[in-house]
Amino acid sequence: MKFDDKIPIYYQIKNYIYRQIIVGELAPGDKLPAVRQLAVNLTVNVNTVQRALGELISEKIIEPQRGKGNFVTEDQGTIEKLKKLLITQQLQELYENLHQLNVTDTEIVSYLQDYIAKRKQVQ
Amino acid sequence: MTNTIEIKNLNYRKNYRSILEDVNLTIESGKTVGLLGENGAGKTTLMRLIAGVAKGASGKITVANQDGVPEKKSVISFSEQLNGFSSNMRIDKIIRFYEDVYPDFSTKKYNEMAGFLQIDEGLRLSALSRGMKEKLVIGLTLSRDTKVYLLDEPFGGIDSMTRKKIIQSIIKWKSDDAVILVSDHYVSEIASILDEVVIIKDRTIYTQKSAEEIRSKYAEGIEQYYESIYEGNDIDD
Repeated sequence: MKFDDKIPIYYQIKNYIYRQIIVGELAPGDKLPAVRQLAVNLTVNVNTVQRALGELISEKIIEPQRGKGNFVTEDQGTIEKLKKLLITQQLQELYENLHQLNVTDTEIVSYLQDYIAKRKQVQ
Repeated sequence: MTNTIEIKNLNYRKNYRSILEDVNLTIESGKTVGLLGENGAGKTTLMRLIAGVAKGASGKITVANQDGVPEKKSVISFSEQLNGFSSNMRIDKIIRFYEDVYPDFSTKKYNEMAGFLQIDEGLRLSALSRGMKEKLVIGLTLSRDTKVYLLDEPFGGIDSMTRKKIIQSIIKWKSDDAVILVSDHYVSEIASILDEVVIIKDRTIYTQKSAEEIRSKYAEGIEQYYESIYEGNDIDD
């Protein structure tokens, strides 16, 4: 994976793992690769991976099991909440960008509907 | 966290010319640190002073609580050590030499790295491409079990695939408490593995910063930050 060097790497690692969980690449209860393996896969520092995992643990997205490694939470509620959070982030960005172009709320809805309809035709 | 490298009031002159002035630097155990600076800024000199290869500086350099030169040499693995070999020497002979001279050299670790990096040991030193030579240097340097690894510009003039392999092997084989000090003037490729950057400018340590702090505080890439310092666009703390 390619990192944006302007954004803290630990933050990008967290987002990467969030996405893997949401799309199901990492299923509930799955074991994460060992810290060093993750670092090698992502070509990042071990300390940075540790920091990212530390935050994911305190957010209860992953659960450490002593001597066994880190596992994706099996709590569906936590995963649902995470998914909602990421969707909201995307929507917020879209909403703010469109507002800066002076697009009103009603227009946003109709533009989105038109866009989705067009995308369907292309497919 | 303990300090692995401590440099206090280091001054170094060569041929009546001041090379390094009033250098103070502390590096904690376990850190991977990028030593950045223009060509001729003094990066190699600083590494040679830390390793005890260059002599005659004033001030104090302590490495893993050692300040005598022989003691320091036993806790530091320096990439420059390969320069002493004759160019027609075969690689397998060089490996035997490392096994004989360094009690902390692990043949097992070397073989693992050599397999990963695909080092061809039947060749002579002079037959190696630039990239293959750097792979060998990394393999030999990291196969010693020491507290500090000094890697002097390991990425000069090599292709991006080789660079990636070398970076991966650094991540893979660095022990948790070891310090890696890696010098470069080409930052973006190694930025993602650095805990800290130390920038040498005007014969001294201009700044020492955490890599993640540069990203979060200035929303800048390491390369950008480094360039802004050399171009004189100082950023206020």
